[in-house]
Amino acid sequence: MDTMANSRTKPEPDHGSHGHAVPLVYQRALPMSPGKVAIWLFLSTEIMFFTALIGTYIVLRFGAPGGTWPTPAQVGVVEWLGALNTFVLICSSMTIVFAYEAAKSDRVRSARSWLLATMLLGLVFLGIKGVEYKSKYSHGIYPRFPRSLMHDRADLYFVSNFSSQLKQRIADEEAFSNQSPKQAVATLERLYLIQTGLVNWTEKKVGMSDDPQMKRLALESFAHQIHPLSKRPDIDKYLADEQTELMQEQQQLVTQQEQLESDLATAQQQLATLSDEIAQLESDRKSLVDDDGNFPEPGEPEQQRKAQLESTEQKAKSITESISSLNQQLNPIQRRLEAHSAFNQLEKGINEHFHLKLPMVIPSGNTWANTYFLITGFHALHVVIGIIVFLLLLPLELNRRRAKVMENVGLYWHFVDIVWIFLFPMIYLF
Amino acid sequence: MQTDAPSQSSPTSQHRVFLVVFGLLVVLTGLSFWIANSAIMENRILGWSVMIGISICKAMLVVAFFMHLWWERAWKYALTIPTLFMGCMLVLLLVPDIGMRTDHYPRSRQRLSPESITVPNAPGYNEPQPKSSPSQGSKT
Repeated sequence: MDTMANSRTKPEPDHGSHGHAVPLVYQRALPMSPGKVAIWLFLSTEIMFFTALIGTYIVLRFGAPGGTWPTPAQVGVVEWLGALNTFVLICSSMTIVFAYEAAKSDRVRSARSWLLATMLLGLVFLGIKGVEYKSKYSHGIYPRFPRSLMHDRADLYFVSNFSSQLKQRIADEEAFSNQSPKQAVATLERLYLIQTGLVNWTEKKVGMSDDPQMKRLALESFAHQIHPLSKRPDIDKYLADEQTELMQEQQQLVTQQEQLESDLATAQQQLATLSDEIAQLESDRKSLVDDDGNFPEPGEPEQQRKAQLESTEQKAKSITESISSLNQQLNPIQRRLEAHSAFNQLEKGINEHFHLKLPMVIPSGNTWANTYFLITGFHALHVVIGIIVFLLLLPLELNRRRAKVMENVGLYWHFVDIVWIFLFPMIYLF
Repeated sequence: MQTDAPSQSSPTSQHRVFLVVFGLLVVLTGLSFWIANSAIMENRILGWSVMIGISICKAMLVVAFFMHLWWERAWKYALTIPTLFMGCMLVLLLVPDIGMRTDHYPRSRQRLSPESITVPNAPGYNEPQPKSSPSQGSKT
């Protein structure tokens, strides 16, 4: 026993005295502890794993045709949150180094508090990540079944999906408004305005236009009002032009309507006078009743007036019809103008401003969301595992004997930090 | 223990090294944040390259000092070089066929891709403006 211990610490080829044919010499297989070999091999596979994920992201991101990958701002990624998370992880790397150093020199309490600090920093990281995930969820930027809210292009599929989702939302909101009417009225009004002033208008515009450029502009301006991706002067101009045009049209229609209404009023007045006259004539005639109870036949003026009455009635009816058809023409224009004044000034778009979570156009948005959640999710999973390991270590006596375990855990944690060091610029800054 | 631990430097000097590395990491993070919001990003390729360069520096600092590879023996090369080689190759091999696949996109393929959002020279981006404004002008 004693000699073995000696040979461990002080290997000397001096075993001939034992009488063995082959001298037993203790030699370490590796210049490092087996645990460290294991953790480094594990980290090598981890490097491969994350290289594959990050490599996929790079290929997708830079392989996307010019300008079709969303910028961080377009998908609501907040740069300073990413920078803060980077700082948190760097701090946690520092604290785990201190924890290891303390354990190595047998400062047990200090090691434990540094380890606790590391674990808390890991939790802070996860908390910030959770805030970010929640904001993604609340904006509808995530993969979902059967259909994502993000569309690659502003086309009729987008409009029809938007329309059906909006109808669903309106139905939900109507059911809700039966329970608490006061709160829901404004929301419901807004949804109706979106339906008539934006969706129906765009559908009609695209359906009736033969000009592909006009169709495209109509669809793009619709998508822009829902979720603007960048400054689009062409769309601003298009909307402003449409607004002035529609205002003129509305003015024309309103004057026409006023004209028709005054025509209707005169016709109704004529009708009133005519029927008065007819009644007068009739009563005059009826006063001339003879002994047998017979009236004289209606005279020439009365018959004339009756014919006049009939034609005026016809006229009034046609005027009413044209007024109602005018109203049908006027109504969508008025709704569109209402929508213009309600939604044109929103800088962040309808979805963001009213928290509507309706379908929007973000080119490559689905690919972005898939890669974002996959990569950051796997990284967050590694953070979670690290925190679990810290939790298992905390109750132990972190003395010199456990320094090696501490070192291996530290190596793992530093690796998690390194992965984030690469993720931060690629996801938040590119 | 003796073989794993740094032998040349005393604990206090090592402590100072850790603090310096920590400071450098924070400064480099701030630097890449600054670059992302500076005029350098007008040349996007340059900005990206610089930011990735900064990330590589940060990773090297962490690996060398926090993960003690600076003080380790030669086994570190046997482990890190093949891994890094394979990691880099995996990405680089994908670049010509996949990463650069859209550099010379025919128009027929471009129509199938998601619509362009930021690059003004992408096909179909500038076309609506000159054509639509006269048609609108004629209408009003």
